[in-house]
Amino acid sequence: MTHGKMLKSKKHVLWEALVITITIFLLGLFLGMILEGSNSIKINNLFAQSETSLIDAMTISKLLEDSKFDCEVIKQNNIDFADRIYEEAKLLEEYEESGKLTENMKVLHKKYDLLRTLVWTNNQESLKFCNNYNLIIYLYEYNSEEINTRAINNVWSKILLEVKESNDDVLLLPIAADQNLASLDLLMSYHKIEQFPALIINDKDILQEIDNVKDVETYLN
Amino acid sequence: MEFLTILYFVYTFIAFYFLMIYILVYFQNRKEIYETIKPNKIRSLSIIIPCFNEEESIGKNIESFLKSDYKGLKKLIIVDDCSEDGSYEIIKKYARIYPKVIALQTPKNTGKASGAKNFGIKYVDTELIGFSDADSLPNQNAISKMIGVFNDVKVGGVTSRVFVSNPTNYLTRIQSIEFKIIAFTRKLLEFLDAIYVTTGPLSIYRKEAFDEVGGFDENNLTEDIELTWHLVSKGWKVKMSIPAIVRSSVQKTIKTWFHQRIRWNVGGIQTVAKYRKKFLQTGMLGVFIMPFFILSWFLGLTGLMFLAYRLIKFIMIKWLITQYSVAAQVALVSMDNFSLNPSILFLFGMILFSLGLGYTIIALSYSKESGRIVGYRIRDIFIYSFFYLLVYPPLLIVSFYKYLRGYDTW
Repeated sequence: MTHGKMLKSKKHVLWEALVITITIFLLGLFLGMILEGSNSIKINNLFAQSETSLIDAMTISKLLEDSKFDCEVIKQNNIDFADRIYEEAKLLEEYEESGKLTENMKVLHKKYDLLRTLVWTNNQESLKFCNNYNLIIYLYEYNSEEINTRAINNVWSKILLEVKESNDDVLLLPIAADQNLASLDLLMSYHKIEQFPALIINDKDILQEIDNVKDVETYLN
Repeated sequence: MEFLTILYFVYTFIAFYFLMIYILVYFQNRKEIYETIKPNKIRSLSIIIPCFNEEESIGKNIESFLKSDYKGLKKLIIVDDCSEDGSYEIIKKYARIYPKVIALQTPKNTGKASGAKNFGIKYVDTELIGFSDADSLPNQNAISKMIGVFNDVKVGGVTSRVFVSNPTNYLTRIQSIEFKIIAFTRKLLEFLDAIYVTTGPLSIYRKEAFDEVGGFDENNLTEDIELTWHLVSKGWKVKMSIPAIVRSSVQKTIKTWFHQRIRWNVGGIQTVAKYRKKFLQTGMLGVFIMPFFILSWFLGLTGLMFLAYRLIKFIMIKWLITQYSVAAQVALVSMDNFSLNPSILFLFGMILFSLGLGYTIIALSYSKESGRIVGYRIRDIFIYSFFYLLVYPPLLIVSFYKYLRGYDTW
């Protein structure tokens, strides 16, 4: 080999590396967006099903006013539905954690909060007539990045999950309180809730502090 | 998109770009990495070796140069910087036996290798001038392997590959891995005319080029980096010969290692500050070497920031959750804590880490003269990749602090 060849500089590689890096990055971002888009479609489909179930539940509640149906059916229907959207919310949360490129999941989260608010209002009616199950509304701060708030949310969620697991008749609805939903804000102001997290049990008892499972169970029917 | 996410993408983009440069340069030039250029004539050479309290190693060092197979080596100038041990007596003993060995002593201790080196330059009248450290031992053919690059009249300097001569404990073994990766990377940078340092253990310069830049800057803690940048800024090319091997001892204790790295970093910062006006100006110094240097700092510091931020946040949240969970008598861990949906950021990080590890393995496979893949202790590579590299950014922060405080200790 001639030394001329050896000493020849190869600066074109800087451009080649740049083009390859940009290509790989764009490809990665594109694939990331497709993945997040696919997660968003999955959640949207689940949401559409839940919307249908909600309308179904609301129709049953309406029928209840005519006292044509057994309260036990209403209870089971409402609890099953709440359980299902609770599971969907967990999946949504998981996708939200991994979603970094788009805001799709945040929008979906808001839609679910609205859905859960509707479930809440629907159950207010059902409870009046039947009063054969317990409705726990868990209001928490969703947008807070504060470490203490996130830790408290985590522990409250675990306490409520234990309450739910040890009491079959509990309908648990976790709702993000800071989503700027007018209907939710109205409900919170009706209950005079300004601090979070907060629990509304059976639409009458409001808890701002809980230490353990028993603190919650004391207020159950 | 969140600010931290954007910053993370910038970080991974730059790191990925650097790695891609190395990978491309490697694949385009891998057959030339071990090439040696045959000299078109014998060029006269003087080697200057500064010495301070090196009575244990200076004799071996002189002998290794006397055994060199390079016919053009005319003078071996050993400059004693007023040692407090018997170094100067040993040097004088060799000077009495071998005519090419010249024993010199500075009038008073200069406190820096650059001071002793500059003192010795006055006694050089050869076409080439080389420098070594008193604790370094070049292979018999090391100089011969380096001289051919001077066939090109634009080459101002050439550096060698440093092997660790004392890989006896964890720290020295990991430095051995580090030095091999640095040497391999430096060789790849040569193909871009972007070598940023000619190492202390053995480097040779064209005297004309050396005189043009006025020798070593005695105010700089890394005079070899400064000299290289000075040469490149004057349009001289700097080369590296991978087959030219010199063995050198490295720091054996954390304390001395820390002190050495601080000196290297502060010297690097001093050099960047000195040549700041060349930034993004024409020539490889401004267009590549300086941005490369500065972006490396950026990568180190942002990497540390990310890691510290995520780690501290994670620990604090887990600590609070544990504390509250114990108080509330609920489960500490639930299945909800485990997510099987990694984010795109995690995947980018994993790709980058895998490529980095692959590069480390390729670089280590070039640690023998023939370029054969050789065995390494997986444990040492693991420590190097996962822990040792993590120490760089904090060192950099300490170095910036020391630089601002006017640190000037050799």
